[in-house]
Amino acid sequence: MSDVAPFTPAVRLSHLGDDVKTRIFEAALRVLADVGASVQHDEAVRLLQKAGCSLDSDGLVRVPRPAVERALSSAPNAFTLYDRDGAAAMELGGHNVYFGTGSDLMWQYDPHTGEHRPSRLDDIARVARVCEALPNMDFVMSGAYPTELDPRGVYAVTFLTMMRNCTKPLVIVAESEIDLGVIIDVAADVRGGRDQLRERPYFLAYVEPVSPLSHPAESVAKLLLCADAGVPVAYVPAPLLGATSPVSSAGHVVQGMAECLLGLVLHQHRAPGAPFMFGVNQGTLDMVSGQPSYAAVEGFMNYLTVVEMAKWLGLPNWGISGCTDSQAIDAQLGLEVGELTLLSMLLGSNLNHDVGFMGFGLTGALEEIVITDEFVSMNKKLLSGIPVQDEDLAVNVIAEVGPKGHYLRHPHTRRYLRKGPGQWRPRLLNRDNRDRWVECGGLDLREKARRKVQAILESEGPPTLDPVLLALAEERVAALKASPKVGSPS
Amino acid sequence: MSLFEDLKLNVEQGKKEAVLALVAQALDQGHSAQQILQQGLIAAMDIVGAKMEQEEMFIPEVLRAAKTMEAGLEILKPLLGVGDMQVSGKVVMGTVKGDLHDIGKNLVAMLLSSAGFEVIDLGINVAPAVFAQKAEETGADFLGMSALLTTTMPMMAATIEELEKAGLRGRVRVLIGGAPVTQAYADQIGADGYASDAGAAIKVAKELGALVA
Repeated sequence: MSDVAPFTPAVRLSHLGDDVKTRIFEAALRVLADVGASVQHDEAVRLLQKAGCSLDSDGLVRVPRPAVERALSSAPNAFTLYDRDGAAAMELGGHNVYFGTGSDLMWQYDPHTGEHRPSRLDDIARVARVCEALPNMDFVMSGAYPTELDPRGVYAVTFLTMMRNCTKPLVIVAESEIDLGVIIDVAADVRGGRDQLRERPYFLAYVEPVSPLSHPAESVAKLLLCADAGVPVAYVPAPLLGATSPVSSAGHVVQGMAECLLGLVLHQHRAPGAPFMFGVNQGTLDMVSGQPSYAAVEGFMNYLTVVEMAKWLGLPNWGISGCTDSQAIDAQLGLEVGELTLLSMLLGSNLNHDVGFMGFGLTGALEEIVITDEFVSMNKKLLSGIPVQDEDLAVNVIAEVGPKGHYLRHPHTRRYLRKGPGQWRPRLLNRDNRDRWVECGGLDLREKARRKVQAILESEGPPTLDPVLLALAEERVAALKASPKVGSPS
Repeated sequence: MSLFEDLKLNVEQGKKEAVLALVAQALDQGHSAQQILQQGLIAAMDIVGAKMEQEEMFIPEVLRAAKTMEAGLEILKPLLGVGDMQVSGKVVMGTVKGDLHDIGKNLVAMLLSSAGFEVIDLGINVAPAVFAQKAEETGADFLGMSALLTTTMPMMAATIEELEKAGLRGRVRVLIGGAPVTQAYADQIGADGYASDAGAAIKVAKELGALVA
């Protein structure tokens, strides 16, 4: 079952003053009102017009300040995701921090052979199993794209696989409103109805506009369907610094915000108060090699700003963590995973996806998920802050032990360890001395993580899904795959 | 600095006004258009290509140099004879149907163009039949397709089928790329070339070009 106590850091990072945040927001408003955007969905354009936006002779939609302000005031500051069984699992908002995987990786490091090979459906099952077992992974996103399957209805198959292999809340992607509709139907079956799903959302849908300033019909249709069904949605552009956004950090954030906020205006006009998640992904184009990066320091700079802007706007935010540009499970992976994950925790970033990503979002490794889990655990301790009650200040204890004494036998020490804050101990990171480490096989972190993955995969999985529900879900997915509407993007 | 050194430096630095003036000056001094093209403009782009390879130039600087070189070429074009201008090949390219992502495709198009290819960019969301029709109309040597979405990749196979139907498959080399695309996928659908990034795309196009030539 899921842990409902949210982690909120006592130690926090914030670096922008109100004046700077106002400047960034005002610039995004100017982009929305003056530059406009291309919205490739007729109904959405009509809705935006009703929300006070204009469709101009150049075909672009321009969004005035009052429309944005109205959307910001109706959008909830927080919303909750519930697990498969309907228990509250993630309270998204404030500085609550949650972690989970990302989606659609094309390659995997095979957990058994170590081979780098194309992703398969059984990788999705393994990602879900591993996340289910790890206490600091709060949600599951597919982690892999099943390259061996016919792409028709593939995201519904993916959803079903995640649902069967874990009980934690899900973050999903869909090709269009058609497969998203089927995924919503299946989730409603699990909950016992549409209203129950609306009351206790089982998943968040991830939807992207295309930078710069383009809102494709499929993206907008998915956004509207989420608004109608009361399914939480993250409408998150992925502008690539210097290529599909300005090269400057502030410019990247301004454009990304304008893209996301147009989605918010549309979404809140359709369903005021429906759960919406704000975010701007932080991709950077290496301006010499042309290679996009997930771990460029400029991207991290943008990320810091985006999360702070989300807090300032009072919207739950979409974040990132646990990923690397490295192609190997090596020290670079450790550094980059660590830096980004710690930043997310310090920022109080709400929903942090992409744990387990390597090589710019193309390769996945289960070991990386296990390593990130350990890192999150350690830093939850670090950022919990130090209590300073009399018991903690321990002046009496110091007096009782006095000069030249020791604390190992003092009850305060035992009490603190057993009943108080205790001491964080690693499960994977090494603290053995040389002799003991050699005696235990001289294993490095990668090998220890690999063994932990094996142990999880060999252990008993989560409780199985009700067979009646499963049969119904499989029927719905089969009908989708057979539908002439899927597999032919228009 | 000699006139040609000056010209090369200004192409490399993307200084269009200076390049236009220097090309005019070279013509005034009696240099042939062919000589200015080879020893000035193309020589400059060779330096740019080498610097790019050595990671000494930013991509926007390379693109600007290419644009500047093209501006100089415009003056020379009316003076060049048939055969003086060697084009590496004609490429019809676009992002496949259902996919609206074009930054990768744009980057490849710009770099191909700066490497001497003639590029006909069909944009985004290009249907298989449109690819085939444009390849036929333009007499293209290459057809380049890009996809970012796993769900739109099958459009690459559909486009190759369309080329076959139109009887163009023998003449047109098919190049594919995009984040989820792999060599294995290229082999599976019978594409002639796959490139994992923009730089590699240029190399693959040149190699295939040399094979057809």
